[in-house]
Amino acid sequence: MEHSKALSLAHLWTAFLCFLPAVGLGFWQMLMRSPLPAPVDDPNVYYASVTAHGSIMAYVFPTFFAMGFGYAIAVSALGRPLQGEKWAWVGYALSLIGTVMALVPVAAGRSSVLYTFYPPLVGSPWYYLGLALVIIGSYFWIALMVVNFRTWKRENPGKPVPLAMFAITACAILWGWTALGAVSEVLFQILPVTFGWSHTIDAGLARTLFSVTLHAIVYFWLLPAYIAYYTLMPQAAGGRLYSDTMGRITFILFLVFSIPVGLHHLFMDPEHGAGFKFVQSVLTFMVALPTLLTVFTITASLEIAGRVRGGKGLFGWIRALPWEEPMVLAVGLSLLLLGPGGFGGLINMSYAMNAMIHNTSWVTAHFHLIFGGAVVIVYFAIAYELWPRLTGRPLFSKRLADIQLWLWFWGILITTIPWHIVGLMGQPRRYAIFDYSDPEVAKTAFLVILSVIGGCIVIGSVLLFFYVLVRSNLAPVAESMPPIRYALSVNPPATVPALLNGFGLWNVILLALVLIAYGYPIGQFFFLHNQNAPAYSLTRGITK
Amino acid sequence: MSGQNKPSRFQNPTGFIVVAVVSATLVVAFGLGFLILPRYQESRAPFSTKDTLYHALGFHIHGKGFNTIQPTLKVPTYIAWTETTIQHATAGDRKGGELIATNCTACHGEKGLSSQPWIPSLAGLDRLVQYKQLDDFRSGTRLSGPMSAIAQSLTPQQYADVSAYFASLPGLPEDRGERAPRAGSSYRNSDPVRRLIYAGDPKRGIAACASCHGPGGYRIGAPALARQNELYLEQQLQAFAQGTRANDMDMPMRTIAGALTDSEIRALAHAYAIENAKGP
Repeated sequence: MEHSKALSLAHLWTAFLCFLPAVGLGFWQMLMRSPLPAPVDDPNVYYASVTAHGSIMAYVFPTFFAMGFGYAIAVSALGRPLQGEKWAWVGYALSLIGTVMALVPVAAGRSSVLYTFYPPLVGSPWYYLGLALVIIGSYFWIALMVVNFRTWKRENPGKPVPLAMFAITACAILWGWTALGAVSEVLFQILPVTFGWSHTIDAGLARTLFSVTLHAIVYFWLLPAYIAYYTLMPQAAGGRLYSDTMGRITFILFLVFSIPVGLHHLFMDPEHGAGFKFVQSVLTFMVALPTLLTVFTITASLEIAGRVRGGKGLFGWIRALPWEEPMVLAVGLSLLLLGPGGFGGLINMSYAMNAMIHNTSWVTAHFHLIFGGAVVIVYFAIAYELWPRLTGRPLFSKRLADIQLWLWFWGILITTIPWHIVGLMGQPRRYAIFDYSDPEVAKTAFLVILSVIGGCIVIGSVLLFFYVLVRSNLAPVAESMPPIRYALSVNPPATVPALLNGFGLWNVILLALVLIAYGYPIGQFFFLHNQNAPAYSLTRGITK
Repeated sequence: MSGQNKPSRFQNPTGFIVVAVVSATLVVAFGLGFLILPRYQESRAPFSTKDTLYHALGFHIHGKGFNTIQPTLKVPTYIAWTETTIQHATAGDRKGGELIATNCTACHGEKGLSSQPWIPSLAGLDRLVQYKQLDDFRSGTRLSGPMSAIAQSLTPQQYADVSAYFASLPGLPEDRGERAPRAGSSYRNSDPVRRLIYAGDPKRGIAACASCHGPGGYRIGAPALARQNELYLEQQLQAFAQGTRANDMDMPMRTIAGALTDSEIRALAHAYAIENAKGP
């Protein structure tokens, strides 16, 4: 872990420094939608804010986080210096420049298109170019993960690639494939309009291309957290991973099944027939499998640790676990959040049930519960785990870290559960303002205020997180800092089948599935349904 | 299974099993989605396997046999914002337009700023807006004796030219769909007119005026209203409300104006007339 510390740290700091203002914007957005007073209550500002919040939280924050975490894993799990560190810095610089390029026009109110773009709505080209640059920067990371993975395999023939490296490489490959959807939407549909080469956008095609990215991106966010589940948590709990093989299968399943499922975001869209929507709905259920495997494996790993520590009886092992360890606490709380989040997801992906909650606050609540809750809470724990190793300074206070995680857990629950309910009551998402003098809307007022209280707790938690990090950074460098250790499995594999030690066949299956699931839905636009619609410029740059 | 030689499929069938499981899943999914479920989906289920497949692919074959008696076609406008129309409407020649505009100045003012309160100012007005209105006057979907006659005497190219000319004149504040953030643009504002302009009134199905007409909002084909003549605005809202003006695509203006009270119409016209680009 001697190498590339500055590299990882730069990525992680960038990720969290972007995260901080985005959380603040999110809180203000909740105020806007509530009956409570909100400063600068202007719907235009709301949409700019949602765009900034979403773009940071969906693209910038997780991308920088995964890159920083990935480099740390490559160095520490493979036990060799990072190959191509220079290129990693180039990728970092590109992503950073892209972030600034994207956010400046958003702040100027020229790109309030939300992070999902919503063509034929179009904003400033700088916004799209900036986000494309963030993604291009991340392709350097993808290439470096694959290169380092292969070099290690070549140098260690026959040996299983360490699970952490195997998993982060799966995450990188997944991102590499899935980002192509949004990138091609931007390149072929949106940018030609923003440059004035065309005045119309095929809204159906653009939405379909985005759906290629839109679902797998959540697994790109999720996988770093799962890596911590499998490789960091059992070690922190003082036990072992229940099964290394289960981990490999989980990450492979995510890689294979996360992309050909995106049409479940378009269930209510008219440009696709029911057949492919149904097929992708079925495939989405397949992608629930690796999460079920994970819940099983991680609970078993926790039980092993609990029993090693002397826990007895049916539930005694739970009490015996070292809950004061931030990593153990975060994973435990994350699993709890994953439960309601996952079941909510099953409703969203069910072709028929989706109609009840489509475009309501339920959906917003769902992805905040899963990503904000189950995933980001583990990002915090990873930060607590990595910071001392990267800076050489001990963590300021485990106790404060634990309080921070607990605050986050309750904050997210109190925010998102009322949100789910108002969604079922019919509250639409993406609305800036609600007229609470309307009796139908007034019914939601109490729950909306409740979720704002949850938002306050979340804000408190984030501030505490930064307090702990900054105080840790101010501490003197410790004389020695134990290196990062990854959990051994109960039966550490001496060899693994080639299939579970590489991605060759899986990439082929993935591409075949994407071709089968998306070939016709995308292809139809070129020979059947042309759905060109006039582009809606947010500003008049295009038509005047 | 170990050793240097690659294990055969029979010694290590994992890959084969994986492909088989994935394929089986696909077969089941396609079978259900394309052959079985469509038969039970619609109130009027497809008759044949071919129909079923068509339905699943998204071809909507039903209904073509219905509606053999069509009502008389009545459209609010003959303009649709297609690529061709937009290109044509924005490709006007300003110089050519200046010449044509000599016919307009008597009513719309020397520099496109009308001094007659019931006639709109044109200086700075969006090209697409002018182009559409001229075409509507020509086709009779918007009624005005003088304007219909003038529009019928011009060609579509001349519509584009004269629109380009007036759009280039300084006058009505240019509204690029942007404005500085400003508090009080929501239902929290106690001023009912500003509430209508910036937040609308969803209880009555009224969208916020500003989201299409500015400040800070823009919709293709919708004019920016800041500093437009007050009486003109009031009369147009009344005309939409009574249905004597009906050239709004998808009828947003007929719906909204019809839901406004007389005093709201007067107050809105006044608020826009005295407004600058930054808002009232």
